[in-house]
Amino acid sequence: MDIYLPIAEVAVNAPLIVLLGAVVGFISGMFGIGGGFLMTPMLVFLGIPAPVAVASMANHVAASSMSSVIAYGRRKAVDLRMGAVLAAGGVVGAFAGVELFRWLRLLGQADLVVSVSYLLFLSVIGGLMLMESLGAILRRRRGETAPPHRDRRPVWLYGLPLKMRFPRSRLYISVIPPLVLGAFVGVLSAIMGVGGGFILVPAMVYILRMPAGMVVGTSLLQIIITTALTGVLQAGRNQTVDIVLATLLLVGGIVGAQFGARASSRFRAEELRAILALIVLLVGLRMGLGLFLTPDEPFVLLSGMG
Amino acid sequence: MIGPILALATATMPGPPLPPSPVAAAPVISAALTDTTVQVKSDFRGARIVLYGAVFDSAARPSDVVVLVRGPEQPVRLTRKQKVAGLWLNSRPVVFRGAPGFYRAASNRPLDDIATFGTLRRLGAGVDHLPINAPAEQHIETRYGVRDVVVSSLGPDYYDWRRAVVRLKEKAGLYHEDGQGVRFVDRGLFRAEIALPTGAPTGVYQAEILLFQNGKPVSSRTRTLTVEKVGLERALYVWAHSRPWSYGLAAMAFALAAGWAASAAFRRD
Repeated sequence: MDIYLPIAEVAVNAPLIVLLGAVVGFISGMFGIGGGFLMTPMLVFLGIPAPVAVASMANHVAASSMSSVIAYGRRKAVDLRMGAVLAAGGVVGAFAGVELFRWLRLLGQADLVVSVSYLLFLSVIGGLMLMESLGAILRRRRGETAPPHRDRRPVWLYGLPLKMRFPRSRLYISVIPPLVLGAFVGVLSAIMGVGGGFILVPAMVYILRMPAGMVVGTSLLQIIITTALTGVLQAGRNQTVDIVLATLLLVGGIVGAQFGARASSRFRAEELRAILALIVLLVGLRMGLGLFLTPDEPFVLLSGMG
Repeated sequence: MIGPILALATATMPGPPLPPSPVAAAPVISAALTDTTVQVKSDFRGARIVLYGAVFDSAARPSDVVVLVRGPEQPVRLTRKQKVAGLWLNSRPVVFRGAPGFYRAASNRPLDDIATFGTLRRLGAGVDHLPINAPAEQHIETRYGVRDVVVSSLGPDYYDWRRAVVRLKEKAGLYHEDGQGVRFVDRGLFRAEIALPTGAPTGVYQAEILLFQNGKPVSSRTRTLTVEKVGLERALYVWAHSRPWSYGLAAMAFALAAGWAASAAFRRD
């Protein structure tokens, strides 16, 4: 059952796209991530032009994050103030990212930057997560206890000006690190078609030292605000948002996420992290492979005139 | 291979419905399309359009028929992967103008057998004769005392680039040249099929039907074909391109509402 996408101007198999949405939704519900990093490469692989895949993913990530953040909000696991500061940075980053992506498309370098970003960020983060989670699994097997948690926060976090109180997270830190972090993730969401949870969550835990219970809900809030803006900007500036594609993905994604969330309770936290790390690492390496292999066809037609 | 078909085509002309004509009148070609509009809907998976026509020639001279279908012009941006420091990177893109978004040349025998290089070049008949060029990459100057020399900053690679445009478009099913695409089905009566892929651009297509005798075009007809989006697809496309900001806001509002509705539907408490 093929369906013609009005903006992407290609026909896709509708059940396949819904199934893809469901599989990524399952993974996203299981690990508490957006799953954009997995979905965008898959869509490009299925023949959807990269600019359309990246832009339409913003709508899909916003919708799936919306469906999860409400549950976290009910449990009071969202730091609204921290979310607002991160989002303020995210807004700046989204504006810059959409313009940067537009410029890269004109230069014909959008594909390269997307591949390099995936290779760089996913393999570094996947590698670090894999090491950390395998270490935790090995320690548990040997019956050792976890090494004492170093709660020393980096000095520079306190040396910076513009300090602000975040009562929910029990933090009193400068607003500069969260602003910069938010802006960085905003740029990534425009370029890579991701929510940025895979960078935001570790950064909030290891750099900002937020309490673990607050991290996922707060990062979802930042992701919704940033991707909502990115989606509108991509539509306005680049006319690349395909609402039919986003809706198909959403239908599968919502159902998949619910089953994923239920399945996650069957695994230990460090095992889940190890599986996620492997997926992240593989996607990153696969996306970067094209940079090293000799292409069969040296010429490439670029889509759109920018 | 051409023999029996051509014999049929030119044996005895004209058929009964032909209007009374003076002796040895100029040969005339006539053609029509089975469909003049193609509607792109959600189930669009390409289309096949049949073109049929007839050659009227009281002198029954050997005739060749060439059908050229051109879609709306679409500038092409092309880049070449180059190895830089061990990595395959895209070069600066080159824009080729004058390239039709869709092109099909069909004839009853290979074009090179029908007419000379110069004639084909002038008519733009065949993928090798498409008037594609990269204006930003070339300029005309006087060299060695010869005026109007076309100089391309792409250098000797220019023809590699040009061939790549055609090769990639052929791969996407957008360009095609078929030396046996026109078939004579009865005396003077011929048909050709035009296959539009899913990626065919929307707009007005021109089908030029040419009658060749003795290597010269002696008669021609032009038919137009319109490919247009209809229904919801058209509404969304027009909305997204004419009012992109309101489309973007509405699409995002819809996505957020769908996410909220999903959380309400799956609420477990």
